[in-house]
Amino acid sequence: MNRKARQEALRFLFEPVIEKLGYKFTPSQEDADFLLEQETLIEAATGIPYCPCQARSNNRAENMRMVCPCIPFHRRHYDAMRRCWCGLFVHKDVTDPDTLRQFPEKEHGTAAQTSHKRRN
Amino acid sequence: MKEFLPAAELAQLPEGRLSAVRPKGLPVLLLNKDGRVFALENRCAHMGCPLAAGALEGYTLECPCHAWRFDVRDGSFLDAPELRLKTYATKISGGTVFIEAEI
Amino acid sequence: MKKITIYALSTCLWCKKTKKYFEDRNIKFETVDYDKQDEAHQEAMMAEMRAANCSGSFPFLKIGAACTQGYNPEEFDKLLKLK
Repeated sequence: MNRKARQEALRFLFEPVIEKLGYKFTPSQEDADFLLEQETLIEAATGIPYCPCQARSNNRAENMRMVCPCIPFHRRHYDAMRRCWCGLFVHKDVTDPDTLRQFPEKEHGTAAQTSHKRRN
Repeated sequence: MKEFLPAAELAQLPEGRLSAVRPKGLPVLLLNKDGRVFALENRCAHMGCPLAAGALEGYTLECPCHAWRFDVRDGSFLDAPELRLKTYATKISGGTVFIEAEI
Repeated sequence: MKKITIYALSTCLWCKKTKKYFEDRNIKFETVDYDKQDEAHQEAMMAEMRAANCSGSFPFLKIGAACTQGYNPEEFDKLLKLK
């Protein structure tokens, strides 16, 4: 499957999931295309469409919390930002994602303090 | 219209073992546990991975692909109440397990 | 001028926007792509981020003695002005 087709496949797979969670794809088509392209590249390399803006380790449980869409595992933080960390998804009521602020989990009091282990 | 479809023989569902069946082509996961037979859609609510190869602990089923966890009793996804697996009502008659599905 | 270091991922949109923010203002910075480093460097970077009570999300910035996480121009401006 070529990259563009896989991007569309991921969009098709993620749409019903994020819709139920109250999110939608960012209205910025350029940003969505870039992020989905990065995910297809990561998926081609690792077999898994990880978030393009979070670092992986060799701790599988930690890594699984970064598989797109990772909203369920960071719900309070993302709901507070009204978008996911990488910006691929925004709350349904967001029309201008540029007005949103990206802030770290710790500001929301939900920082995950987990040990980092080397990537395989 | 809903109908009870034969899905498997009860004797072929060992206690606590996940079994993939395809009544009328439907991807269904059966689990015989604690005197009940649970039937769920055999496709993860995340990316559609078959769940029969997943890990079961108690009533929690973990998808083998990306570790999404579900309660086999009602199909609910443990990390977001809005997401769930489709479940099917079951009945056992004459040693056969039937699932109730829309056909 | 304060020393600015940006820890980034080459796949991260907000890391690119962060770099552009400083480029547009002709503010010099150093950048390190986490995913282009060997394991030892990655471990050191992550340890530094964890020590700052941050998760493994990028971008992560050091501006002078302070650090911050995420693309946040208001925060960048504030940290640039701090004595």
